Amino acid sequence: MNRAGKGSFSRSFFANMLLITNNPDVRDAFTDKHGITLRFIEGSYRDVLVAARDLIHSGSKLLTHPLMGSLKPNETPYRSVALAVMEGPMDMDSLMLIERSIETFDKFAAVTRPDRGVNTPERMLADFRLIDLSLISSALDH
Amino acid sequence: MAYKVVHYINQFYAGIGGEEFATTEPAKIAGVKGPGMALNAALKAAGAEIVATVYCGDSYFAENNEDAITRVLALIKEENPDLVICGPAFNAGRYGVACGQVAAEVKEKLGVPTLTGMYIENPGADMYKSKTIIMETKNSAAGMRDAVAKMAPVAIKMLKGEELGSAKQEGYIPTGIRKNLFENERGAKRAVDMLIKKLAGEEFETEFPMPEFDRVAPNPAVKDLAHATIALCTSGGIVPKGNPDHIESSSASHYGKYSIAGVNDLDAEHWQTAHGGYDPSYANADADRVLPVDVMREFEKEGKIGKLYDFFYTTVGNGTAVKNAKKFAAEYAQELKANGVDAVIMTST
Amino acid sequence: MKLELGYIYIKDVQFGAKSEVKDGTLYVNKEEIQKLVLEDENLVSCDVDLARPGESVRITPVKDVIEPRVKVEGRGGVFPGWMHKVDTVGEGKTNVLKGAAVVTAGKVVGFQEGIIDMSGEGAKYTPFSKTNNVVLVINPIDNLEAHDYEHSLRVAGLKVATYLGELARNLTPDEVKVYEHEGVLEGYKKYPDLPRVAYVLMLQSQGLLHDTYVYGVDAKQSLTTMINPTELFDGAIVSGNCVSACDKNPTYIHENNPVVEELFAQHGKKLNFVGVIITNENVYLADKMRSSDWSAKLCKFLNLDGAIVSQEGFGNPDTDLIMNCKKIEAEGVKTVIITDEYAGQDGSSQSLADADVAANAVVTGGNANVVIHLPKMDKVIGTLDYVDIIAGGWSGSLQPDGSIIAELQVITSATNEQGYNCLSAR
Repeated sequence: MNRAGKGSFSRSFFANMLLITNNPDVRDAFTDKHGITLRFIEGSYRDVLVAARDLIHSGSKLLTHPLMGSLKPNETPYRSVALAVMEGPMDMDSLMLIERSIETFDKFAAVTRPDRGVNTPERMLADFRLIDLSLISSALDH
Repeated sequence: MAYKVVHYINQFYAGIGGEEFATTEPAKIAGVKGPGMALNAALKAAGAEIVATVYCGDSYFAENNEDAITRVLALIKEENPDLVICGPAFNAGRYGVACGQVAAEVKEKLGVPTLTGMYIENPGADMYKSKTIIMETKNSAAGMRDAVAKMAPVAIKMLKGEELGSAKQEGYIPTGIRKNLFENERGAKRAVDMLIKKLAGEEFETEFPMPEFDRVAPNPAVKDLAHATIALCTSGGIVPKGNPDHIESSSASHYGKYSIAGVNDLDAEHWQTAHGGYDPSYANADADRVLPVDVMREFEKEGKIGKLYDFFYTTVGNGTAVKNAKKFAAEYAQELKANGVDAVIMTST
Repeated sequence: MKLELGYIYIKDVQFGAKSEVKDGTLYVNKEEIQKLVLEDENLVSCDVDLARPGESVRITPVKDVIEPRVKVEGRGGVFPGWMHKVDTVGEGKTNVLKGAAVVTAGKVVGFQEGIIDMSGEGAKYTPFSKTNNVVLVINPIDNLEAHDYEHSLRVAGLKVATYLGELARNLTPDEVKVYEHEGVLEGYKKYPDLPRVAYVLMLQSQGLLHDTYVYGVDAKQSLTTMINPTELFDGAIVSGNCVSACDKNPTYIHENNPVVEELFAQHGKKLNFVGVIITNENVYLADKMRSSDWSAKLCKFLNLDGAIVSQEGFGNPDTDLIMNCKKIEAEGVKTVIITDEYAGQDGSSQSLADADVAANAVVTGGNANVVIHLPKMDKVIGTLDYVDIIAGGWSGSLQPDGSIIAELQVITSATNEQGYNCLSAR
């Protein structure tokens, strides 16, 4: 396991930061941001986590916590995750964290909440998007 | 008021016979049988009686599970019981799983409280501890008296609709179900008290036991794959057609060792899976899907690996106790080492 | 450092022509409070209402709860960095309106929970059913951004708490509590044989509606550092967190930090309370590593024998909690951690989003997923519009009879992770 440099990544360390999101507000705010590649997923919170996991399998590292925020996975439908895209040996810490996060997601997903996560009214969706955008923006200092 | 209790046991305790009668189909007799006698005596004091005993052979239950459980449930339902007691099964794996399943499904589908008993390492304990109350017993039938003494008072409480105390107080296997309660002291005080004990080296009880993971540190990488002998092993139940060593479809009690010398492909004609925990059709159609002999032969030809070892070791992981699994591997690892195997690929399902 | 807290016990709250405290009753002048709040041009209206223990009253959506205090002697003033200049507090005398609280309510976002029931089932779980509450329902100008509204609400609550605290300036306390902290070297000399214990206080710092401020500074932007325990009693730490009602630490709980109180109670007896380490719960993983490394480093610098680690929130903070615990234990410092659980409605799921064997001493504030039935209340303080959403929003729903079926997590501070409550789980 390559542990060199673990924990030493500053926000500007990577020119190749990838932001995966299913939140249109994050897409709009981060499109053409210098140093950040954006991947918009037409899909669920879980799809974003799985896309991040697939990249981790090929060597990328997580930069932000996949379960950021206090909203539970069965409440907000939006998720944004930042990774440092790189090829190479798999980062075990990132893998453990994303796998645990997907496990936690699935645990919560087993309990559906009407009007949260499913059939969410638009006025709440806007707020969910706002929280997600705000959290990822403050994490990435934008 | 007289409470009606139904007792579930296997063919052995029903007096039918041992392993050779394990294919006995579900049946019922009036009154008590075998261990039911001691239980009944203890229950009588509280006005409860075992009105019927339902039994089934362990193999029949495992191999014809859907049919067996449906019939067992129907036989129990006819009695309209207030409580169903299963076992105790001690350390008998298949019996334990059957007791667990009967207890869990009676509780869920018939809405009748249930109670069983088994040894903590019985695979049925881990599988069903969250679905029924399982009293912790000793590991063999020699502990019957002790088991009855533990089970009867809990059975009486359940019949009377009384709330059970904690796992520790009552002697059942912790259910893993978290329940809220109000303590006398606030959390901060409890934390400081716990720390004082921990610092003094005294015993303290955590309020949330962390899940335990048995982590195995990976060995260093094989340096020279091109000259290494690689063995395939699996807990996916791949066996020669017909399962000659009768490896159980769940809670396996042993493992098999089979030759693949000269075999390039595990075809459906000669190979199958014995595993009962997943849909076997894809493995039966092409066992390479679980035990990739075909790919290993290609690697062998291409020179990526030195040689595929002539034998593979196999068992069924489904419900198999970790302790048993460890024992199997400890045995055959010695053989592998003695025969110059450099590395093992272990496949699961 | 020595701080005397003078408790003036408040047993009732009433509106009055003059704001004052008389015979244990807090009288509040509604207009003065409204005027104070509406100084902020981002706010258009402020309803002031009162809620007393035992009444059939529901307050929602709660943002923060603050205890009125006033600095009577010593440096600085309460809520430094907000209501008073940034001057070190924690020394001298502070008077407290014990039994009174300011509750701010306002819908910053549509899914924001936060229920305080003054009676019934819900009252058993929230500590603020036992306080006499001055509730501010505050509405912003049209199209005010959520960040700005949150800020305005936060400041309004602190202003009113400071205003009410002033009423206690010249009163004689009913009870005086003395908290004295010697400092590292003197403490060691005084109690050479007692185990050295610190409190690692994790502060929510993930972003909007998830922030905490220390002397006015956003904890997100700070390295792990130390603070005198008595500084907390003067409002050095202020909450800006209003999502996940059950496990948030409102400003009130920071002012009355229960771990600090309990460590003081044993200070010089069974342990030597060395100090408080404050660390954050950032989203960025490198921040997590840096902050938890720093916590462990400070524990080592202080030659600790033990530490209590408390948390705020779920998911992301679980990772910080476990990192802190692991790294501090690895320095040979024994830990007890305080958390809460999301074990599913039936209690059968894995409770924490992260786990490690090093965390062998855990205190839990209970399972937040447990479903509770909140009876209808005669009066709702807050926005009715919001009550509809909250009920539909949670797995349960607003019942035809006006009651609410919801998970415990909607109740303010029900499963508090500083160990404020008696609730637990097994």
